[in-house]
Amino acid sequence: MKFFPSFLLSCLLLISSGAFAQTKNKAKGPTTETLQIKTSAVCDMCKARLEKAMAYEKGVQQATLDVPSQMLTVTYRPDKTNPSALSAAIQKTGYDANGQLADDKAYERLPECCKKTNDVH
Amino acid sequence: MNSSIRHSRALAVAGLVLAASAARAQTPDPSVAPVRGQVLDATTSTPVPGAVVRWLSNPAGATTTDEQGAFSLVRPAGTDNRLIINFLGYLADTVRADSRYLRVPLRRSAELGEVQVQARALAYSGLTPTNTQVITSRDLTKSACCNLAESFETNASVEVSTSDAVSGAKQIQLLGLDGAYTLLTLENLPALRGLATPYRLGYLAGPWIEGIDIIKGMGSVVNGYESIAGQVNIHLKDPAKTDRLHFNAYVNDMGKFDLNLNLATRLTPKLSTALLLHTDHLGGRIDRNDDGFLDLPRATQFNAFNKWKYNSGNGFVTEVGLGALRETRQGGQVGFREEAPGPYYGITQETNRYTGYAKASYAWAGRPYQSLGLLLSGTDHDFTSRYGRRDYDGRQRTGLATLLFQSIIGTTAHTYRTGLSFLHDDYRETYNPSTTSAALLARNRREQVPGAFGEYTYQNASNLTVVGGLRLDRHNLYGWLLTPRLNVKYDPAKNTVLRFAAGKGLRVANPLAENSGMFVSSRDFVISPDLQPEKAWSLGGSATQYFNAFGRQGTLVADYYHTEFQNQVVVDSYTAPDQLLIGNLEPGGRSYSRSFLAEVQVQPLKGLEAKAAYKYLDVQTTYSGELLPRVLVPRHRLFLNLAYATAFDKWRADLTVQGYGRRPLAPEPGTADLGRSLSPRYALLNTQITRAFKRWEVYAGVENLTNYRQRNPIQGAEAPFGPAFDAAMAWGPVYGRMSYLGMRFTLP
Repeated sequence: MKFFPSFLLSCLLLISSGAFAQTKNKAKGPTTETLQIKTSAVCDMCKARLEKAMAYEKGVQQATLDVPSQMLTVTYRPDKTNPSALSAAIQKTGYDANGQLADDKAYERLPECCKKTNDVH
Repeated sequence: MNSSIRHSRALAVAGLVLAASAARAQTPDPSVAPVRGQVLDATTSTPVPGAVVRWLSNPAGATTTDEQGAFSLVRPAGTDNRLIINFLGYLADTVRADSRYLRVPLRRSAELGEVQVQARALAYSGLTPTNTQVITSRDLTKSACCNLAESFETNASVEVSTSDAVSGAKQIQLLGLDGAYTLLTLENLPALRGLATPYRLGYLAGPWIEGIDIIKGMGSVVNGYESIAGQVNIHLKDPAKTDRLHFNAYVNDMGKFDLNLNLATRLTPKLSTALLLHTDHLGGRIDRNDDGFLDLPRATQFNAFNKWKYNSGNGFVTEVGLGALRETRQGGQVGFREEAPGPYYGITQETNRYTGYAKASYAWAGRPYQSLGLLLSGTDHDFTSRYGRRDYDGRQRTGLATLLFQSIIGTTAHTYRTGLSFLHDDYRETYNPSTTSAALLARNRREQVPGAFGEYTYQNASNLTVVGGLRLDRHNLYGWLLTPRLNVKYDPAKNTVLRFAAGKGLRVANPLAENSGMFVSSRDFVISPDLQPEKAWSLGGSATQYFNAFGRQGTLVADYYHTEFQNQVVVDSYTAPDQLLIGNLEPGGRSYSRSFLAEVQVQPLKGLEAKAAYKYLDVQTTYSGELLPRVLVPRHRLFLNLAYATAFDKWRADLTVQGYGRRPLAPEPGTADLGRSLSPRYALLNTQITRAFKRWEVYAGVENLTNYRQRNPIQGAEAPFGPAFDAAMAWGPVYGRMSYLGMRFTLP
């Protein structure tokens, strides 16, 4: 069982070296593009939910939702993702994207205050 | 006319408003007029009287709606124009007061529970009348969360201790009092009571748990008379809201693995179900301190829970839960084999447990504050165990039924809950102190307790809540039992909350089950024949101050509780080194617990949360005419937790330091020395790191980083059947440093 601590350590090192690699990429600053998508998000809770979901999407550098205008601004790396993948990700989170309807199951799981029958609040 | 303009201008200047705003001062502008509006029930469109309306930026200036649901509220200074509308039985709503007249439809909440626990809520609630601390499912991922015992590791209020150095059983302590004095409830129904107490923390898997509420001091009378130190309420994952699939796998360097699988599905829009599965297994024989005893018992557990929820949408909600558990354990000396014990000391145990509950509630249409609920639960807990030459078997069958009605008197300022309950508890225990003799002791007890309770809550619109409760039970063995309780919450200022709790609690002790850690010792159990129920009065309070530090909210909590026993089943290991004397508190004797806790929580940097706590415990009991501190309860305890999370929790890291003061030890059996000794003080360090991906999470951690160990956890380990054997004085870690690795996979 002696191997286990060293195995753990090497795992940790691996994970952290992965992180360093990521930051290096960011520092180099590959070309990014910006996309604006009209969503059906209505409140600050939607904002947190949607921004978090986008943060975990491949290739997304930044995502910001402006609640009053319902516009989501996504900064992404075109070599890793594309606008249709991004709008699909929004739909899978439970929100409409540029008029394309949200995924039914994901929409059902939204908290009451995030349903699009509400006004922007 | 001219002069009046001049006059108003002068006023405006005097009012520190610039000359340009003079026109405004003359003609009333919508931005300064009070906001008026009406609050309506979203489904029936009928007015909602008694709803609390306040500004988000200024909680002190609140108003309530009148008979027509109408309200009027002056605007506060500042640009934030968001209003919060709150009403019992409805979902709170936040609206922007952009127009002068608002029509606010409020949606009814169909929840059965009281206060809903949300992820990332304040750890110390500012709303509940009791001193409640909340552990969310996010907090639970901070420790290597295999089961309930680990859930409290990042929490200062509850202490988890090992009951002895061989069986691996863990106990919680609240206010310095043993776990048995804390009422454990599952979905607000008493659970894991009586004979299940010694190993109960292992019976609920961490990934099943949605949240935990820790209530210190006297709680509500609705849940029975049993809680003395407090209540720990556990919410399991809600079938209607939880993820479709959640899988957790964990392995540690001792070879113990843990697997969890949660599945949830919505069969129809009204009916949903969740299946929660857990198994853990430790197969290897590990003896790191070379004392010839396994540091942890080899154990296998299979545990399943199935929860159903039906919500009709018009006020009728039903929840059903069914659980089954099987666990086998084997510990003791390394050479011990269950089929051929030979000369070796061993512990074997087998537990089979079946449990079920059903809750049904109906809320009146248009009167969401009024509801009727029926709560039923039943458990069959059956175990056989052997500790060396001692045999201890038992079975407990429990049924509990509660009928609960909740409504208001006039307005929602006065609410009440009242109801009836019936408890049926059938205990069958057999204990044989030595398999070589036939001195079998049978302890059978059948309790049948009908009871009635009432609880009244006064809540003014701003800062005062008073909850008074009374219950009367008729116990078939101990006669009439009266349980009064009082909770007061008062907010003297916007960010200050004061709470006060007083009341009585009562429970019937199970001297064998609650002291099963002492079986792993050469001490003889001497149980006095006429044990009476334990009765205690508790009085205490807390002060919570929310403040702003480093631009973020911080919390400061101080609390003090005094519990005084009128009668207690006293477990005396001081008087005779070879015996464990269990009897009623002696006449003229005292038994009390005084507990003080101060805790501060701040966020010095974005994403970094720091908690520090100091706890003082003074727990003393009269043993043979002498008032002495309770065995193994440290007087001082320090706690420090640092948690860091990057944006969206992609990375999370956690460091916990727990410092324990010196603990009084009981004299060692087999010696004539009755001198009092103390354990050394020590600190434990735990740390964990988690990396989250879209569906995956990977975590790794180390418990007891400094590899601190109690040097001789087992006295007389070389002769376990001899007179000097004692593994019950476990005050520190037995197996030292432990590292682990795990992953979670989630499909939302």
